[in-house]
Amino acid sequence: MSRFSGTLLLGRERLRVRAVALAVGFAALAGAALILASGYDPLSAYAEIARGSLSLAALPDTLNWATPLVGMALAAAIPLRGGMVNLGGDGQLVIGGLIGALAPLFLPGAGAFGAAAGLILAGFGGGLYAALAAWGEVRHGVPMLISSLLLSYPAIGVTSYFARFPLRDVSTGLPQTLMVPSDARLHVLSGPLNVGSVLIATIALVVVFADRRTSGGYELRMRGKNARFAGYGGVRLGRQAVWTMSCSGAIAGLVGAIIVLGSQFRFIDGALVTPAYTWSGLMAALLANGEPVGTIAAALFFAALQTGGFAMQRETSVPRVLTLVLQAIVILFLAMRRGLGRRM
Amino acid sequence: MVEIAAVGIVKRYGGLVANNGVSLQAERGEIHGVMGENGAGKTTLMSILFGLQEPDAGEIRLRDAPVRFRSPIEAMRAGLGMVHQSFKLFGSLTVWENIVYGAEPRRGPFVDRGAARERVAELAERHRLAVDPDARVRDLSVGVRQRIEILKALHRDARILILDEPTAVLTPPERDALFAVLKSLASDGRTVLFVTHKLHEVTAITDRITILRDGRTVVSLRTADTDAGEIVRAMTGRNINVTVEKRQAQPGEALLKSVDVTIASPSGKRVVDGVSLTVRSGEIVGIAGVAGNGQSELVEALVGLRTPDSGRVEICGRDVTGADVATRRTAGLAYIPEDRAAVGSASGATAADNLAMGFHRTAPLASGPFVDPSAFAERARALIRRFAIRIASERADVGTLSGGNLQKIVAARELSHEAPVLIAEQPTRGLDVGATEYIHEQLVAERDNGRAVLLVSAELSEILALSDRVLVMFEGRVLADLPQERADEQSIGLLMAGREAEAG
Repeated sequence: MSRFSGTLLLGRERLRVRAVALAVGFAALAGAALILASGYDPLSAYAEIARGSLSLAALPDTLNWATPLVGMALAAAIPLRGGMVNLGGDGQLVIGGLIGALAPLFLPGAGAFGAAAGLILAGFGGGLYAALAAWGEVRHGVPMLISSLLLSYPAIGVTSYFARFPLRDVSTGLPQTLMVPSDARLHVLSGPLNVGSVLIATIALVVVFADRRTSGGYELRMRGKNARFAGYGGVRLGRQAVWTMSCSGAIAGLVGAIIVLGSQFRFIDGALVTPAYTWSGLMAALLANGEPVGTIAAALFFAALQTGGFAMQRETSVPRVLTLVLQAIVILFLAMRRGLGRRM
Repeated sequence: MVEIAAVGIVKRYGGLVANNGVSLQAERGEIHGVMGENGAGKTTLMSILFGLQEPDAGEIRLRDAPVRFRSPIEAMRAGLGMVHQSFKLFGSLTVWENIVYGAEPRRGPFVDRGAARERVAELAERHRLAVDPDARVRDLSVGVRQRIEILKALHRDARILILDEPTAVLTPPERDALFAVLKSLASDGRTVLFVTHKLHEVTAITDRITILRDGRTVVSLRTADTDAGEIVRAMTGRNINVTVEKRQAQPGEALLKSVDVTIASPSGKRVVDGVSLTVRSGEIVGIAGVAGNGQSELVEALVGLRTPDSGRVEICGRDVTGADVATRRTAGLAYIPEDRAAVGSASGATAADNLAMGFHRTAPLASGPFVDPSAFAERARALIRRFAIRIASERADVGTLSGGNLQKIVAARELSHEAPVLIAEQPTRGLDVGATEYIHEQLVAERDNGRAVLLVSAELSEILALSDRVLVMFEGRVLADLPQERADEQSIGLLMAGREAEAG
């Protein structure tokens, strides 16, 4: 056992792994009962989910779907690791998305520079916006749980206004901005996969490393275990909250820009919010209590489940809503065992 | 005639035994004091009597008949009333609405407002509890709210009234008024159970006292036949004589200073009232006092967990009055907090992580922004050895440790800071004799290494054994600053009770 996986997988966290395995098992059984009751064959449905997500042909689709999901899961996990909750992922996501769509159009200079500027500025935008919620709590005592969520709505509304009115691509009639020039789009690796996935994978590694091997990560973990202990030990809790939320929001903003620059090539009103990446990501983070490796694993699991759901629907005519039901049951079982509600 | 009795009450919360065979007997028409320090089990016992909790073992007897209350409603029906530490009132409703709530006089299906207001006015008049029935509760002072709570109980004709630390929130005139009311209720044939840890209050108004410590009944005394010293001993002291080998102190420069520190509670009461103290290098200054006389708040102001309303705090010559904990720690502060579980450690985290706090930004545990887990582990193993902490390994969760071993974790971390100023708050509470001795030796060793040690303890024997100077706190003020030679149990006991004049 390596020396730090040892310190991180002891006691409660090992119990947690067992709890998750049990919850997934129970959810599979409950789902099977549901499929049987609706007159289909559960085994073939599950086989299609597996084939439709993990087979060599399907894997790129799964990874493509996993990219925003893992990103948003990390955005949720970072504050959660310190006992804080960022419910404003959607707002940070659309801000990043809009910035990502506009930077290549309006900044001088072209091509890869436009894309890079878009990604970086999107990160800043999302980060600043999330930091606002933390600042509100630290300075004015507005609970971050509420303010981060409420701040989402103006962000969604304002970006929607831009996509519908001043920045609309009038040639299409849809609420969307102009296409970004093709040389400013993210480099395609293979099939649906682009550089964005590599970027998120890199960030995931950085987060895991920071969590285990930096003093900031240590302080955040201790705050998550007992905030009064961290404060008493000399951690500046206010500053820490602002920085933590900034990092979380920056990742969310970056995810927005990656989706825009990597697959949609323009900011389309509603396109970032509708797939509910924020909420799937939050669920993944909650499953792992904010522990980064667990969060990433959970997000990949959800991505596989959701991607496999399409295949299942195609091949067996079991509606793909079932995979969302499975997700929900997993969460419910875990909440039952551990009382996730108390963390909120 | 015995009105209410608790016999052999046991109550456990998980691994914690809050009541461990507590017994209590109160006669009809007496004011019965229930004393004990924080955590002695007073509140648990009262909530069992009032049906908020059910005991794991033991029995409640009401006028010699065993009873079992499954809820406060049953207890109220049997004639009990309780005034909680935090009031349970509707701020937006009027006084009379609060008082009759749940037992309204009715006319058909409707509340008879006229009768209700009359009843409240009549009750207030009879018991001399002046209230305006039509005032909104949210506009009223804490003292008046307490009267409403008492009237609530009397409206239901409570024969037994439980008051849980009723004076904690009151100013002295409000307190005196409350005492007068309690006396008249007792002469009316009602029984009052009066929970407190303030000595002078029980000696002032109770007829008998039951003293709890560590979840057990220590003794039951007739107030007239006892004295402050005996009560303090029963409350705080395992009357064992703690002796610690130590040389004459060699005090040097002042390292910790407070000047006129004042802290007011939200109700405006001064919980810390103009406290000035100095701790020099090479000495242990002890703060004695019955818990709840402002010691915790003073320490919070010294360490940076609370900003005083006025006054100044200096650490190693640096003014840190408005500074946060981090700044004070850099200036040279180590702190063993009163509550080792809620403040001093992070349960759920490993011993290595717990022992690293405060060392995690400097070598050898860190270089730049990076930490070295193997250095965390190595350091933890060394401290576990040095302090003889009984733990499976440095990777074990500290939440599984016993109180004594957890305290050793906290002490090991704070002492290894080798900071010039050490504040130790109740450092041996709940520890066995061996662990206590060990912590005491360490504190003396700190002193001999030229550090300034401020020891806050409700345990008089500990203060006397360790301190080179003793300050006594009472109701937020420092009543005396005694050198070790002049500090003895009797005079400090009297000062702890606020009786300055007799202490000489």
